Amino acid sequence: MKRVLIGGIGNVLLGDDGVGPYVVRLLESLYELGEGVEVADLGTPALDLTHQIVGLHALILVDSVANDDPPGTVVLYRKEDILRAMPAQRLDPHSPALSECLMTAEMLGATPEHVLLAGVAGACYEPGQPLSDAVRQSVGVAIAAILEELERLEFAFQAKLSPDEPGIWWNRDSIPEPDLVPQ
Amino acid sequence: MAKRITIDPITRIEGHLRIDVEVDNNAVSNAWASCTMWRGIEKILRGRDPRDAWLFTQRFCGVCTTVHAMASVRSVEDALKLEIPLNAQYIRNLILIAHALHDHIVHFYQLSALDWVDVLQIPKADPAATSKLAESISPWTRNSRNELKAAQDRVNAVASSGQLGIFANGYWGHPAMRLSPDVNLLAFSHYVQALEYQRKALQVVGILGSKTPHIQNLNVGGVANAIDLDSTSALGMSQLEMIRTLLEEVVQFVQQVYFVDVCAVAAMYPEWFKIGSGVRNYLAVPDLPLDSRGSSYDLPGGYIRDGNLAGVKGFQTASDPVFRQSVTEDVMHAYYQGDKALHPWAGETEPAFTGWDGDQKYSWVKAPRFNGEPMQVGPLAQVLVGYAQGHPLTRKYTDMAIEKIAAIGGPRATPAALHSTLGRHAARAIRACMLAELAQKHLQLLVENISKGDYAVHNQPVLPNHEVEGVGTHEAPRGTLSHWVVIKDQKIKNYQAVVPSTWNASPRDRTGAHGPYEASLLHTPLARPEEPLEVLRTVHSFDPCMACACHAFDPSGRKIGVAKVL
Repeated sequence: MKRVLIGGIGNVLLGDDGVGPYVVRLLESLYELGEGVEVADLGTPALDLTHQIVGLHALILVDSVANDDPPGTVVLYRKEDILRAMPAQRLDPHSPALSECLMTAEMLGATPEHVLLAGVAGACYEPGQPLSDAVRQSVGVAIAAILEELERLEFAFQAKLSPDEPGIWWNRDSIPEPDLVPQ
Repeated sequence: MAKRITIDPITRIEGHLRIDVEVDNNAVSNAWASCTMWRGIEKILRGRDPRDAWLFTQRFCGVCTTVHAMASVRSVEDALKLEIPLNAQYIRNLILIAHALHDHIVHFYQLSALDWVDVLQIPKADPAATSKLAESISPWTRNSRNELKAAQDRVNAVASSGQLGIFANGYWGHPAMRLSPDVNLLAFSHYVQALEYQRKALQVVGILGSKTPHIQNLNVGGVANAIDLDSTSALGMSQLEMIRTLLEEVVQFVQQVYFVDVCAVAAMYPEWFKIGSGVRNYLAVPDLPLDSRGSSYDLPGGYIRDGNLAGVKGFQTASDPVFRQSVTEDVMHAYYQGDKALHPWAGETEPAFTGWDGDQKYSWVKAPRFNGEPMQVGPLAQVLVGYAQGHPLTRKYTDMAIEKIAAIGGPRATPAALHSTLGRHAARAIRACMLAELAQKHLQLLVENISKGDYAVHNQPVLPNHEVEGVGTHEAPRGTLSHWVVIKDQKIKNYQAVVPSTWNASPRDRTGAHGPYEASLLHTPLARPEEPLEVLRTVHSFDPCMACACHAFDPSGRKIGVAKVL
């Protein structure tokens, strides 16, 4: 069976860095996902991401990115964009970032055929802060990008008639605002 | 005139280590360890329910999530004087051991082996001869010519593509690299296999913890694993058998591969037993409790001053009064307000960023001190503290390592040689062997206890209204971790985490005393200062992990790793 992993990456304690886990939890609460689709809040993984991605048909990730785009911009990256980043000097276990995990999977001959990273440009990475307004407004765009990719890869999904509580436990007020629910 | 070299890799929004060294006549004459980012995560916890703290603390770091969850529940349990049911202790211990085995394997192979192994020599190796060599030093069954040839083909494929990919940033061909092509191939073959076995160790964490990263089975007072021997959804025989099988494979890899490879590297780079000692004060806390109260442990703790093993002082418990009273954090050279050295329960985390100034403030890491002195923590500290107290399991594997290094053609090392860069690697491998043996023991203890009909996993915590203080410790893969909590009116009043890499990456303190990384780099010879491989070897030997060691985010921090000569 073909498998796809939808992974949210980021630190939920650091404001907009938590957008990845936020998006995948919201997605899971809103949609019934078909066979072979797995969703995971991956936190801030290091090399242990490698074994999560080895053998997958497709990998879809959501993460905050520090680029020059205005906050809330969603930028889509493909495998070749990610692999263009040179591996950094490994001083600590956080250094083997996404590109190195993909390169390792490639070396093992088990890299996912399709890779999509939905990168959300962040505004604020302060500890204990909720998502910034700009990033909250982009959550629907990120979810739409994930669904489009699932559709392209022929994985099934269906909107739930009554959405589950998304379990955004790290926010003091965990109820998402209605404008977050994509149409 | 001394040259200054800065090693400052920044990859994503995480804390990162920066090392500055001054080089005079091809040797390090001064060193600064600093962390480039502030986090202040502890402040998020104030005002929250102490029973929820562990869910937040395990997000401090994406690599060592489990350890912060564990130290957190232990700190609250200590404050509440709450006992933990035996099953919960064993389940926690198994998670901690499995996580540590995963971490030690990844550290040696993925994060430090390529400091010693020259990948670009591998195409010259002879897989048949390599296999013969491997079989002479280890019974490992996956050292066949075919297995080694497959590993060599992987390197050839990457090398012939014209782009080195995963290997693009190594110091290949550096004069300090000295292994033969065959030994390089053998080590690389295990680098690939290590990915498989560290995963098996993590599966154990996943089975018991429900999820990894971020285990879900803890609570203050015990664990949330339902035990039912006949069930496949609760913790029953089928899961325990799965854990047993996974552990058997990991134990074999640790004892027949990891341990042997470290001994082989030690045998072939003996001069590194004389380099990289630094701070010879060592600190470790007891861990792996064997009863519900935490009065006996499988891993001993204590402290050693100035390398004097005979003068070792033991800790009786994981929250020993001496430990509780003796820890302070000094901010003289850290980017925090003031210049005080405060006890963690009274700790403050108010940032005062000045920019890097090696004579003033230069790091986001505070300087923890034990009785006012810098301490080295980690597997080396634990092994020395155990060895000095005559701990049988520590002696067994330390003596075995000494024999093995000599048998492979290295020097006959003494425990004193362990005060070094290689000593830290050897101690980690020794500790991994100890933990491997203890994994099987604690699984057996769990099975036997359940077989007696004891299914208890949790004691209900009761939060008092008056103020209480607690410390939760864990001897984590990188060393002594302590979480310090003050609870009042059933809410968290203060919370501080003093993490292993804070001890080791500590900046100077008020007396000017260097932290362990800094001290260990002094006098290190550099063959080519523009390629400071030797600095990396020593820094890597500590297994640095900075995400939680520093307590802001540097919005300009988007550089890819550089080693630039200023």
